[in-house]
Amino acid sequence: MLVRVEMELEDVPGQLVRVLEPISRFGGNIQNVVHQRDKKTPLGRVPVTVIFDVGERARLNRILATLRNMGVRITRVGEREGMVKRTVLLIGHIIHTDIRDTIDRINALRGVRVSDLSLAMGAMGEESSARMTIAADNEECVRRALQRLEGIAAEKKLLMITSLEGT
Amino acid sequence: MRIILIGFGNLGKGFARALVEKASHLRETHGLRPVVVAAVDEFGAAVDEGGLDIQKLLRAAERTNSVAGYPSRGVRGKTALEVIEEVEAELVFELTPTNIKTGEPGLTHIKRAMMAGRHVITSNKGPLVVAFRKLNELARKKGVEFRYSASVGGSVPVISLAKRMLAGNEILSIRGVLNGTSNYILTRMSMEGAPFDVVLREAQEMGIAEKDPTLDIEGIDTACKITILANAIFDMDATLKDVKVTGIRRIRPEAARLAQEAGYAIKLIGVAKRDLLEVGPKLVPIGHPLAVGGTLNAVTFQTDLARETTITGFGAGPRETSSALLGDLIDVYTTIRGKRCGTSA
Repeated sequence: MLVRVEMELEDVPGQLVRVLEPISRFGGNIQNVVHQRDKKTPLGRVPVTVIFDVGERARLNRILATLRNMGVRITRVGEREGMVKRTVLLIGHIIHTDIRDTIDRINALRGVRVSDLSLAMGAMGEESSARMTIAADNEECVRRALQRLEGIAAEKKLLMITSLEGT
Repeated sequence: MRIILIGFGNLGKGFARALVEKASHLRETHGLRPVVVAAVDEFGAAVDEGGLDIQKLLRAAERTNSVAGYPSRGVRGKTALEVIEEVEAELVFELTPTNIKTGEPGLTHIKRAMMAGRHVITSNKGPLVVAFRKLNELARKKGVEFRYSASVGGSVPVISLAKRMLAGNEILSIRGVLNGTSNYILTRMSMEGAPFDVVLREAQEMGIAEKDPTLDIEGIDTACKITILANAIFDMDATLKDVKVTGIRRIRPEAARLAQEAGYAIKLIGVAKRDLLEVGPKLVPIGHPLAVGGTLNAVTFQTDLARETTITGFGAGPRETSSALLGDLIDVYTTIRGKRCGTSA
């Protein structure tokens, strides 16, 4: 999951390197650091925002605990779960092939959730169409979700139409 | 330059008309005087080494349903292979209908023409899908030029854009809407909410779809074009079997509506990458350069330097496709003239 941590650091040399170290050490992959020297707080601290990708919640908790133990003042933690969204169409006997099972098997993946589903029923005996939105924590999760859905579609004889962004 | 036309259907006739219409342009701008010394169709041939009158040729084909009806020079039953062997010419246009399984009769026509030392220009996908590399090797061995711009994208200069204008780039992927018939059907379905069969019938009545639309709607025509692009641009040795193909027959108007509500259009997209050749329906964001409507074609090249370049235009029609055939004619002419003069960088 992608995490955004906002904190305030003392304006003395070496502070930034100090807080980045535990993030890396516990497996966080740092994607962006914003160091706002021109926006000092009334107490003279410098606001810093670090965005990093981290595999599991336990690691995030360790990172946050370590930073707090170091005396870093953390002002905000924003998890950006489900950041990556992808739209997929399915055509076929969607209900009769157990739509609930389809959704459950996608949701069983870590970092993946079916966040929206719109269904248009076909006439009696004809195929239905569905639009599914998959929300995932990162591109890798999306890839795994689409791969699983492709397998399910093949098994249930559904036509799966993915978006161009994925090709 | 003496040329032989093999195939005198809609495309052959359209090209013949373009030769008449563009005669002074070719002469004045390019110093090129094409002389049609023979024309062949399935019923016979017309041969005049001094040059056939193209207007007469068109009238004969109209009146008698064959070029063999050409006054005094028409011969019933004379075949393309006989003409290729017997008639003196520098260039052969192979414009016969496509057979994607055997590539015939175009494949043999092209081979024989090359063996006889003649340059070849074709619009025929069949031979290119079946024997792309072999034909290019044969052309090289025989020292003749071989061009096939009209086989992909109709009037849209897809191959020459990639091979010349983008020549300084590494091309990472090619994605395109390459079949006007299926694009027309998908466009109408999303606009009118009409069922597939109704739109298909309408397309057939308008002459956009053929009586047997299988190749278009099952994605096979697009797969042929993807095969040719992969071979021509990525220097692959691919055949139709290497392309994973899904057609558009199962697309329903409700699906088109659901896509539209989320800001997408359903398009039949052909994709060529070095490790993947596939054709299938995709969700294309509305406003994306590939989200073209009606019978239009569009191709996007993803490259290292230029990033994305898209080209759009008319992918079918005898007049439009003549643009590609004439372009190849001028290209072959300037290439061989350059060789003769010994020009080099």
